[in-house]
Amino acid sequence: MIVCVAVVGHQNNPLYIQSFTEADDALKLHHIVHCSLDVIDERVNNPKKSGPLLNETFLGLLYPTENYKVYGYLTNTKVKFILVTTDLDVKDADVRNFFRRFHAAYGDAVSNPFHVPGKKITSRTFAESVSTIVKAFGLSSAG
Amino acid sequence: MEEYPEELRTPPVALISLVGCSDHHPAISGHLHSLQPPMNVLALPDFSKIQAVLTKKAKEPGAGDPPSGILKRDWLLKHRTRVPAVVAAMFSSAHVSGDPAQWLQVCTELENLKAAARPRNIKLVVIVVQSSSADDINEDRMIALRKRADVDSKYLVIYTPSDASELKQSLNRLANVFVELANTYYRDEGRRMKTRVEKKSFSSIELNIRYCFKVAVYAEFRRDWVEALRFYEEAYRILREMIGTSTRLPPIQRLVEIKHVAEQLHFKVSTLLLHGGKIIEAVTWFRQHNASYKRLVGAPEAIYLHWEWMSRQFLVFAELLETSSATTQTISSVTADNPDRGLTEWEFRPAYYFQLAAHYLKKKRSSLDIALSMLVNANEIDGGAESVAPSTFVGQFARLLEQGEALSFQPIDDEEYIHYALTEGKRFQDSYEIIALFNRSYESYSNLRVQRMGSTCGLEIAKEYFLVGDFTTAKQFFDNFAHLYRQEGWVILLWEALGYSRECSKKMGAVKNFVESSLEMASLPVSSDYIQSLGFKECGPAGPPSLPERESIHKEILELVSGELGVRSLEETNDLNVTEGNPLHLEIDLVSPLRSVLLASVAFHEQTVKPGASTLMTLSLLSQLPLTTEIDQLEVQFNQSEYNFTITNAERPHSTSKITSGTQNHRVETAASLSLVTNKWLRLTYEIKSEQSGKLECISVIAKLGPHFTIFCRAESPASMDGLPLWKFEDRVETYPTKDPALAITGQKVIQVEEAEPLVDLNLGDSGAALVGESFMVPVNIAARGHDIYSGELKINLVDVKGGGLFSTRETEPSTMDGHHVELLSVAGAEWEDESQKEAEKINNIQQSFGLVSIPFLKIGDTWSCKLEIKWYRPKPVMLYVSLGYSPHGNELNAQKIHVHKSLQIEGQNPVLISHRFLLPFRRDPLLLSKMKAVSENNQFTSLPLNETSILILSAKNCTEVPLQVESLYVEVDEDCVATSCLIKPGSEDLAHSGLLVPGEEFRKVFMVIPQVNSSTLGMGTVCLRWRRHPGSGVQVSCIQEDSVLTRHKLPDVNVELAPLTITLECPPYGILGDPFTYFIKIHNQTQLLQEVKFSLADSQSFVLSGSHNGTTYVLPKSEHILSYKLVPLVSGPLQLPKVTLTSVRYSAGYQPSVNASTIFVYPSKPHLKVADQREGRTESVAAK
Amino acid sequence: MGREVSESCIDSLVTEMVFSFCNRFYADKSDLAARRIEAIGYQVGHQLSERYTMERPRFSDHLEAIKFICKDFWSEVFKKQIDNLKTNHRGTFVLQDNRFRWLSRMSVEPSLETGQEGENKATEAMSMHLYFPCGIIRGALSNLGIPCAVSADISNLPACSFVIRIKA
Repeated sequence: MIVCVAVVGHQNNPLYIQSFTEADDALKLHHIVHCSLDVIDERVNNPKKSGPLLNETFLGLLYPTENYKVYGYLTNTKVKFILVTTDLDVKDADVRNFFRRFHAAYGDAVSNPFHVPGKKITSRTFAESVSTIVKAFGLSSAG
Repeated sequence: MEEYPEELRTPPVALISLVGCSDHHPAISGHLHSLQPPMNVLALPDFSKIQAVLTKKAKEPGAGDPPSGILKRDWLLKHRTRVPAVVAAMFSSAHVSGDPAQWLQVCTELENLKAAARPRNIKLVVIVVQSSSADDINEDRMIALRKRADVDSKYLVIYTPSDASELKQSLNRLANVFVELANTYYRDEGRRMKTRVEKKSFSSIELNIRYCFKVAVYAEFRRDWVEALRFYEEAYRILREMIGTSTRLPPIQRLVEIKHVAEQLHFKVSTLLLHGGKIIEAVTWFRQHNASYKRLVGAPEAIYLHWEWMSRQFLVFAELLETSSATTQTISSVTADNPDRGLTEWEFRPAYYFQLAAHYLKKKRSSLDIALSMLVNANEIDGGAESVAPSTFVGQFARLLEQGEALSFQPIDDEEYIHYALTEGKRFQDSYEIIALFNRSYESYSNLRVQRMGSTCGLEIAKEYFLVGDFTTAKQFFDNFAHLYRQEGWVILLWEALGYSRECSKKMGAVKNFVESSLEMASLPVSSDYIQSLGFKECGPAGPPSLPERESIHKEILELVSGELGVRSLEETNDLNVTEGNPLHLEIDLVSPLRSVLLASVAFHEQTVKPGASTLMTLSLLSQLPLTTEIDQLEVQFNQSEYNFTITNAERPHSTSKITSGTQNHRVETAASLSLVTNKWLRLTYEIKSEQSGKLECISVIAKLGPHFTIFCRAESPASMDGLPLWKFEDRVETYPTKDPALAITGQKVIQVEEAEPLVDLNLGDSGAALVGESFMVPVNIAARGHDIYSGELKINLVDVKGGGLFSTRETEPSTMDGHHVELLSVAGAEWEDESQKEAEKINNIQQSFGLVSIPFLKIGDTWSCKLEIKWYRPKPVMLYVSLGYSPHGNELNAQKIHVHKSLQIEGQNPVLISHRFLLPFRRDPLLLSKMKAVSENNQFTSLPLNETSILILSAKNCTEVPLQVESLYVEVDEDCVATSCLIKPGSEDLAHSGLLVPGEEFRKVFMVIPQVNSSTLGMGTVCLRWRRHPGSGVQVSCIQEDSVLTRHKLPDVNVELAPLTITLECPPYGILGDPFTYFIKIHNQTQLLQEVKFSLADSQSFVLSGSHNGTTYVLPKSEHILSYKLVPLVSGPLQLPKVTLTSVRYSAGYQPSVNASTIFVYPSKPHLKVADQREGRTESVAAK
Repeated sequence: MGREVSESCIDSLVTEMVFSFCNRFYADKSDLAARRIEAIGYQVGHQLSERYTMERPRFSDHLEAIKFICKDFWSEVFKKQIDNLKTNHRGTFVLQDNRFRWLSRMSVEPSLETGQEGENKATEAMSMHLYFPCGIIRGALSNLGIPCAVSADISNLPACSFVIRIKA
């Protein structure tokens, strides 16, 4: 299950962060998302030498914490997407697929003429499409 | 890791027992310890002890009974300290070869030893100590001894301690024997266990695990890591299977035991992996370990045991990872190699494990707290648990019963166990442990420059300090780490940290810090979006980040600063309050986090203003505080304090006291309202009138919010104002600080007050182009039209028009005087003749392109003038800048100066162009040999014949646009030339006519040159032309100095050589048609040699001639040969005489007189020449050219 | 992209936008108008670059990003690629479009205004139209993490070159 998704701007400022849990751990998720930026920094600054991963937007598993797995994605525009899930067994392909759809939704959201670049995303449409994508992720990984 | 017993922590060490001859034990054990790997020694002084050591204790219950535990707690220790692999019996050689009684004793002891060692398969070594090498050992006895001991001959060792080399040999021999036997022993033991495992000859799963463990340990003894690892893993695997099936113990204790054993096995596996450098495998292994036990939480009342256990797993692994030297070096390569395993770089860092260890310890603490709180009576647990202690098996606890001497263990039920565990748990201060763990993590992250993870750890540390009541330390931590969140805009995280910090300040009674934290929190951009998902508890003392919370914080501060209410802190003694005796003053600068509390923008409506004219200034204040804030009073401060003014709130008339002490005539404005509404600019516009020129800058705005609370806020220009760091990410409408959007983009908090309009005229006389060499005068006139001039100063500056302003072009033209092409020589003015000395000095002090002149006091209507004397050395256009600075009102030091600027471009021109040419005497041609060659060699020098008169014509052309008067023209012989080397005298007397040159006209003068030295480079000297501007020729007469100017022009060097032959043509000055005349060709031989000369005369159609056309003649040395012809001209006009060609045979050089020289004018009839002969000569000379 | 817009509409829109800002909103404050038009271009470029880079790996250096602008981005916006790219290898790039779409249908009417003054006015009006594409380039590049300044040069119509100076 996805417990949290976040969009982080190129100054490492949160643009959108939404948790999908009932429990009182939203603050903890904030911390986890924030900490995962360190891993992204590390991974971008010391890129792996292996070919296919070079400069790919999908960054893979960032780090496992006690109960969560954190995945990252870095767009060409230096915007980071972060996914926190409780699923222990996640297929990379599913996460890739999730991020691709998420990126598309993000692209739509920032192309809104009323959106000012660099500001938080408050669009309700975006929130709705994100929750659809999040739900779909649960289904596909279960099936 | 420290809490593990040493035998677990370190790899096993083989144990050797030495019996008898105790004198030699230290030497042997010392040697064995120093081995690599070392061996432990169990040294027994005499043989009676060995029995006690080696005899087995009562045999464990029959094989059929299930064992009551998995691993025995003391098994490892036993093999380290009590059960030797090898027993070495030491006998002195004296005893061995001594009398029969001694021999018998040896035999008995040996027998006893054998009896004790055999059942346990302990290997036997017999050592015979030979006290001196001279000692003879009875061979028979030795053989007998060996037979008795039943050992191979190589295990009967003779030990010779007497001399050093022998001792060393003996020790090495012993060591080899011991190592070999110990290996055999452990191999045998291991094999025995392994067969049991393989044949599955065990009654219970516990024994299976135990046997695997033992095989692994025995393998470790032998340094067989691969096998050790295999069996540890096997044991671990079987253990994991046991979880569901075992029923031996009550459920809680069962799990505890399994976890304890698992922990030991896991530790062994990880250690082996890491020491083997298999870091990836180790991390993967740990991951599996974590995954398989993480969920085995166990019974709810004992849940904290699980977290404690988990925490320990992480801590131990972290420490292992940290000590493993491989860690740091290979992380990057490791992660690079293994993208497929899904391991992330973080999992190779100890910091990650420390952090999680701390995290689990926190969980443990909270579960422990819950468990403790569930007990009805806290004292209840203290009683029953006293006698419970760890039992003989790893991970088991039992009640220790004392029955007389003997101690026995009685199993306990789960309830008792929980009691015991809680008592144990209470003994520890978890907070400090947690802080220590987080601190290790934090430091490790900091070393890696991983700041966000580090901050998270730091925040956790701070929270622990907060929990234990160390508010000072806690606050320090909170404030440190809040910075990162503030910087990156993580508002919720910042909110949390600030909330703690605020609470710390409150507890510490620090009013200022409390107010600062509170105001920052109240002005944070948190909105209702977050409430839904954030619980109250999670955010600590701050409460959930929400608008109502912000409002209540704001309200609290408003009440505090209004003096209505002091916020009570925990300790009654330090109430927080703001009173007259305890006023509060906050400062907000451009980088302060409190900028969102109060932002002051100041914009002047104009960029510059005339002095005395008034302009508008808009002061705009913005606050993000959630409630409307009423400001009592505002004070605006400028860099010139006399413009400071105060704005009071009309709605609060009572508070008119000044914030800062200022001058008496302080300006006070009243504003209708000074309410700051959230995110809405409060704009106030006032008129400012500045008298003084210069910069007027608004420095700060001080807001007074209560009787004793002020905020000092630095003013910002709208043009360069940064957005509020946290609010700029919010999606909201941004408004301009000023109504006029243009002003919001360009507005500045600084205004430039201009100088007063100068009422003084400064004029530069335009005098046309300057001529190089002359002292060019530029008149400067100052007329005080409407101002008095006090302490006036004239600045003069010469600047190159082509840019730069540098006159020194040393690199290109090194010969230039001082590098200056144009120089300001002096400033001449009638007015200060008397003090000229001083002024001259002043000018000399300054550079050649710059001058500074003081102007005397001038009243209105006065004028003053001076002349700038400028000299050009090169033709060059120059900009002359003159600026006058003066103060119109007296000589005070701080008086405002007014400046007038003027500039003038002046061309510099060459006045004359001097040229020259050399001529030989008329109809006289020397044979110059160098000239013959020159054709090919392109000789640059002009050649002149030695001792012959040549003619130099100098001409000077006026290049200017004004007429020039030439005063004299002469050639000055260079100093370095000998006076006699060349004689130059004017060809005619001095200038007969006036020498006035109109523009473009050329002045010419003829000189005779007789070179007297044979030299290839003869200096000809310098042409000196003395000239002046022609008076009365222009309007600028006044400004030109009347002195004549000397222009010099260096003549090029010439080549002087002796001409061996000279030809002179002689004929009348003119001919008459049909009238015959004689034409002489004189060949003069100047050498001491006989010269053979061939000559030929070409026919000419214009003449009839008589004489020989061709011929050869000899000219005697220093004599002359004359050829003569009679010519009759046939036509009139300028005619070419018949062409003569001479060839000197000696020099094989032929030459002809020049065409000019052989021309004659033929009149049709005899002319009547009445004009003076001089005229005639002149015509001819012109024609000759 | 499924939705397409008629080219002439876009041309008219751009022209109208420039006209409105220059002659209506900020009449005789041409620098303010230029600033606004550039800002609009910036936002457009910013948003377009987000979309056009969606399915591609990240750029490893500036040159790659500039090449993206020249090829893919330009093709998407103007249906042709940049014709010539020059660089001094110190952060300055010159992108030349030999037939810049938004200028290709413009001409300076010689009869109306002649002489130096007329030409100046025409050039000025023309350059007003170039603030928008300059803004687009700047917006796209700064969204790709390359802060820069962009200026345009029209020495011979309808060719147009854009000069990008990357801020260190």
